[in-house]
Amino acid sequence: MRDLASLIDDRPLDGVFLVHRDAFADRDLFEQEQKFVFEATWNFLALESQLSKPCDFVTTHIGRVPVLLTRDRQGKLCGFLNLCRHKGALLCAGEQGHARHFTCPYHGWTYEASGKNADIKDRQAGAYTAGFDGEGHDLIPLAKLGSYKGLIFGSLSPDVPELEDYLGDIRFFLDLAMEQGPHGMEFIPGRMAYSYRGNWKLQLDNNLDPYHLTTTHLSFIGVQTRRRQGSGYVEARGYDWAKRAKTKAGTFTFRHGHAVYWADQPEPEKRPIFPKLAEVESRVGFDRAHWMLKNRNLQVFPNLQIAETAALMLRTYRPLDVDLTEMKSYCLAPIGESEEARAWRLRQYEDFFNPSGMATPDDTVTYEDCQTGFRAPGHSWLQGYQRGMGGERVGADDLARSLGIHPTASAVGSFEAGLETGLHGPYREWRRLMEAGAQGRKAYP
Amino acid sequence: MSSLSNLDPRDYLASGTELLQREALYLDQRRWDDWLALYTPDCEYWMPAWKSEDELGQNPRTELSYFYYDNRAGLEDRVARVVSGRSAASSPMPRTTHLLSDIRLRQDPSAGRLALGAAWVCQVYFPRLKESRAFFGRVEHDLVLRDENWLIARKKIVLQNDYIPTMLDFYCV
Repeated sequence: MRDLASLIDDRPLDGVFLVHRDAFADRDLFEQEQKFVFEATWNFLALESQLSKPCDFVTTHIGRVPVLLTRDRQGKLCGFLNLCRHKGALLCAGEQGHARHFTCPYHGWTYEASGKNADIKDRQAGAYTAGFDGEGHDLIPLAKLGSYKGLIFGSLSPDVPELEDYLGDIRFFLDLAMEQGPHGMEFIPGRMAYSYRGNWKLQLDNNLDPYHLTTTHLSFIGVQTRRRQGSGYVEARGYDWAKRAKTKAGTFTFRHGHAVYWADQPEPEKRPIFPKLAEVESRVGFDRAHWMLKNRNLQVFPNLQIAETAALMLRTYRPLDVDLTEMKSYCLAPIGESEEARAWRLRQYEDFFNPSGMATPDDTVTYEDCQTGFRAPGHSWLQGYQRGMGGERVGADDLARSLGIHPTASAVGSFEAGLETGLHGPYREWRRLMEAGAQGRKAYP
Repeated sequence: MSSLSNLDPRDYLASGTELLQREALYLDQRRWDDWLALYTPDCEYWMPAWKSEDELGQNPRTELSYFYYDNRAGLEDRVARVVSGRSAASSPMPRTTHLLSDIRLRQDPSAGRLALGAAWVCQVYFPRLKESRAFFGRVEHDLVLRDENWLIARKKIVLQNDYIPTMLDFYCV
């Protein structure tokens, strides 16, 4: 068994935080991650607004395990392994829809939206024994299912904290995304699914890494410069990067591996909620409404990212192999907003975040370059986790106290500081869960 | 030879086909300025996202698109990015071959307007990955006559394989 302590060199007193490249490239570790991280904790699954009516369903995964989310006929949210009890086949192949029953295409076993077995084909003729009758034939429920502000989470392990305790004070930042509309938030229709040949933690890293923006996205910044000078698609209302360099920024890390990077937004008037700010202020208060206008990149460990930078985006990823990751990204929007606001939001989102956009492809291709680098022997420690450590403090700083949140660490700097301190939270939690799993201890004692 | 403004209806399809094939050639040869010049300044360029396995996006103002521009400046941005030398996804530049087939009239041609539909495949070679991938679907072109030349006033691309390996750019469709 790999000594996990040798993969994260975390010495706060010496100002050192290094991650070993094998954490991204070792196939045995990948297997352990599935068991000790993804299958041992809460994972983000879907939005409640994707299943708004009784008998709506969504399919997704927790790590390697296919998951079926339904609303039963009474409208209660249910979560199951998306697997038939008979031969183990994938039960529902659709991504999303409406169904009162789910019938396995193999031998026709049928389940209600509540998960109850409704029919075993030709049961009477099957000469089953009493032993079979005692086995139970309903869908296997997820060990835990919960939702917070419309975000649905599930766990394959029953030994996890209650969802609100698990999320802890990252909830302040989740609220900033999920309370922008008076009627809740939804995904704008349109699926964006893509994959890359790299480890899932490359996506984890990128979201909490402001340092890459002014190199990886130089071509996007160039397009914004052209637009500022009056040519190009000004209708996309892109942000002016020249105004960002000196803005104030910071990171907070939280218990259970969550973290946020935030930065001031010099052009709040370009946010699609800006014309509705008075309504938002009346609902959530002045301070929170104005925090909604700032740039924020959230990591909810292990598989959810919400970023409000070029646009408001929710992204989830699924490791398919040590060097293959599936991405799904969504444009998050207030339910019931005007067509004008929606078109505004869509153009900003497509411009940057699409796999066909002008920024995300430059990230994704670079992840693949990293994975190529990880195959090279001899270059062991990655030095991409230490910017901002000189300005970091344990626990809450004045800003955190003013927000009423209790981070495990706080850091401040300018946008140019390119703070990498936010990543300490997820990596410390990754190591903690991996060590607990490897040593046969409970993930959450 | 008749001019485009008083074409025999039989020749409409042939002249429109020539323009579509030329667009494919310009993309494959990276003749970006020639490609941009095929579009009207107020063109609509749209590749909707799928809303589900069976349902394609219908409204670019309320649903997500891979690309949506309602003027040529959007296409100019795309070109500016790939030629900037500052986009990792575009350097080295992938090489493409566009194949068009089943080019047909979607409506009866009228004076100065031509609505075409076609099937397309684009083979893309990604030098970074040393790998080839194909994207495919159908496409609609609405052409208008300007100064004796057909120009593209509207293009709608339907992408059938919408699970994207790594990335996709305008020159891949």
